[in-house]
Amino acid sequence: MVSSADSPETSPATVVETKWPTSALPAALFLSVFFLLPLAFVLLLSLSPNVLVHSHGLGFGNFEYLLSKPYYLSVLVRTVRIAAVTTVVGLLIGYPAAYSLKLLGERVSSGLIIGFTFPILAGPLVVVLGWMILLADGGPLLGPLHKWNLIRLPHLIGTETAVVIGLVHFTLPFVILSIYSSLRQIPDDLIEAARSLGAGTGNLLVRVIWPLSLPGVISASLIAFSLAASAYVTPYYLGGPGQITLTTLVGEFILGTYNSQMAAAASVLLLITMFAITFAFIKFTSRFVR
Amino acid sequence: MTAKRLLAWIFLGLIYLFILIPAAIVIVDSFSSATSFPSPFESATLHWYRALLDHEEFLDSIRVSALVAAIAASASVVLGFLAAYALVRRPVKGRDAVQTLLYGPLFVPQIVIGLATLQILSLAKLRISLVSLIIVHVVYLMPFTMRLVMTSLSRFDFSLEDAALSLGASYSRTLWHVTLPLVRTGLIAGFLFAFILSFVNLPLSLFLTNSRTATLPVVMFAYIESRIDPLVAAVASMIVVAAVAVTVVLERIFRLRLLG
Repeated sequence: MVSSADSPETSPATVVETKWPTSALPAALFLSVFFLLPLAFVLLLSLSPNVLVHSHGLGFGNFEYLLSKPYYLSVLVRTVRIAAVTTVVGLLIGYPAAYSLKLLGERVSSGLIIGFTFPILAGPLVVVLGWMILLADGGPLLGPLHKWNLIRLPHLIGTETAVVIGLVHFTLPFVILSIYSSLRQIPDDLIEAARSLGAGTGNLLVRVIWPLSLPGVISASLIAFSLAASAYVTPYYLGGPGQITLTTLVGEFILGTYNSQMAAAASVLLLITMFAITFAFIKFTSRFVR
Repeated sequence: MTAKRLLAWIFLGLIYLFILIPAAIVIVDSFSSATSFPSPFESATLHWYRALLDHEEFLDSIRVSALVAAIAASASVVLGFLAAYALVRRPVKGRDAVQTLLYGPLFVPQIVIGLATLQILSLAKLRISLVSLIIVHVVYLMPFTMRLVMTSLSRFDFSLEDAALSLGASYSRTLWHVTLPLVRTGLIAGFLFAFILSFVNLPLSLFLTNSRTATLPVVMFAYIESRIDPLVAAVASMIVVAAVAVTVVLERIFRLRLLG
């Protein structure tokens, strides 16, 4: 979820001996104890036997169980599908939005960007509550559509469509900001130069702007995918029991049947899936970016 | 205005509508006289805000959330500042590894962080408490505060510190009178950002609260399960107002880009 611009500019010139070379130690220790250690324990738990999977000692039985039951397999497939569709839809909406910001220029867009960050701060619970009211049967959206026979879908809440709508909404600010930050770096002179050399709008977009914005598109995709795959609140409420994803499955195992080992296995499965897809995506896209 | 710019305005207008409409409908419906949703808006009332003042469970959870958010945000600003300082100031070997560890929580779903904390607590035979809740929030918030402080440190002229030190100021004096005042905006922005992120967070807290330490999102979560009415919309509206206030403060006063 961190953009590529993360390495901080260091001040190279003056490195005076100060008392602070180890000031990262408290944070590193804190995270080792309260983040890495618990995570390692989850990994151990995911390999441990439990009420559903009886075995002696550690093994991959829990994963075999999850991947062999059609129900759990469909949870995994749904998680990936929802995250992928969210990413694609997010890019299709987010790219033109970021390009519009670029067209309007730095002064206007820096003001407009303020508004995009607001749903991030309001949090997913508030936003999902809004979607539940908007998408409800007989609500402000479906009510009129049904009355005028414009839509066949009987419900939206509880469908994958509702989850994708909620997740596109949730990830869109990140997608727009990420693409815009790489569009912003394209100098106007370069666009002028391409134009004066005879490039039409189509050529300009496809051969100049798109390739230069590709790093932003790639990081936007990674952010959108991992946010969508990690989301809990949106699939829980907009998808409900019919659209369980790996995150809500973890919740189910803890709040429902209290099976720590299966919850851990579902968590590890989610992490592995996310990392594998992220890794493959980076490998695949690296050849397009110089 | 050219046609292109006009199109850009219209498109961004639609995007804004999409982004703001869920929060807008929550605010509108918090003034509705209806008793549950969905139902058409008939007349406006402040009834639900008054009802909120009598709702002990919501009020208690707001206190818990504010306490957790204040402590967790402060701790994550202190830890984040120290870590950011080391990462920006000292390009030592192994910095990338440390940086990866410090950004680690961003790559793990919050529900998994919550689960991991719950499990390690039960391994250590510890009960869930306010302390464990605050710790898990700090784990999640620290990468954000560290990132914000790093942004303001990257614009910081470290030779000012050297000047102070060579003129005989002690390290603590230099820190207090030179470094901290110059990165103050980063620290305040980090605190506000972390505070609101903690205040609205559900997945981290979900497994780690009991009836006495339930945070506002956890109480809302349980409430929405049974019904959606203007009362919960009123609670959500107050969060929206807080989020708008924080957004305005962060962006207007400090001119700091949150996600650059």
